[in-house]
Amino acid sequence: MPSDFEPITLTGSAEDDISLLDIIDHVLNAGVVIHGSLVISVAGVDLVYLGLNVVLTSVETALRNLRLQDTNEKDTSEKNAMPEGR
Amino acid sequence: MRRVLAYCGFLHGQGTTTPETGVDNSAVSPLAYDRLRLLWSEVEWPFEQGKLQQSAVDFHRVIEHVFRQVAVVPFRLLSVFDDLASLEKFAAEHVAGFVADLERLRDMVQMEAVVYVIAPRAIPNSDSGRAYLEQKAGMLRFAESHAATVREAIQQVSREVHIRQVKSGMRIFALVQRGNEARFRDMVGSVPLPDGVSRRVSGPWPAAEFLSSAVKMPEIAGQR
Repeated sequence: MPSDFEPITLTGSAEDDISLLDIIDHVLNAGVVIHGSLVISVAGVDLVYLGLNVVLTSVETALRNLRLQDTNEKDTSEKNAMPEGR
Repeated sequence: MRRVLAYCGFLHGQGTTTPETGVDNSAVSPLAYDRLRLLWSEVEWPFEQGKLQQSAVDFHRVIEHVFRQVAVVPFRLLSVFDDLASLEKFAAEHVAGFVADLERLRDMVQMEAVVYVIAPRAIPNSDSGRAYLEQKAGMLRFAESHAATVREAIQQVSREVHIRQVKSGMRIFALVQRGNEARFRDMVGSVPLPDGVSRRVSGPWPAAEFLSSAVKMPEIAGQR
């Protein structure tokens, strides 16, 4: 079982396709979780945690922040005209 | 080191196809246990730095391939087994829960609507922190109320709805009959979007939010 504390980087940014963030969010956060330990950094922010569950929660937070950043940028230029859909 | 990466579980059915390759171009194989099929690959672990994004897409592609045909129970990407024997042991221990969930969620998909509050900007003076937090709390209540309105609007098409608060808004998960995805979108779209709130619908996804807790976080012998 993984006890490997190797850092993994998600190279996300506000410019990335939102559906890619959706995919990453879902494959990391949704479904059956088997234990593990990892160090992950998302968009250059190091997230150092021991338990996989805690890491996943933090990834959710990081992805949400990226989404918000993306949303805010779109809102600035489109005045709340966010399209709905995947 | 090599590890066994599990993608998803589904019920054996005639004509269900599976992809040939998965993460890092590895061969995808089915593990059969009673009516349950678990798709798995042998992969190099941990994933190479910088490749996780591609691995996530590959992983998603495998699950999506099956999910387009039947209900699936997805595993999370960063969950791996020591070897095939461990996965076989896992399947033997948890087959009943997987089959029960897959039966219950047969023909169902998960649709999501995320309601974000457009965050107010902090004013850079000594009193701004409190004002900012109060404003933000008010906006969150606003999002909560909007989420409740959305919940009402989608009730007709949703067997079950879960709402979870996220940092700057609310995330709504709905269990919807396969084929009703467009109706779900229309119903969410029919709710007027108030100023200061942004909303996004996504799906269909595997109904992971609606898995039983024993399947979602299975107890494994010898595990902390």
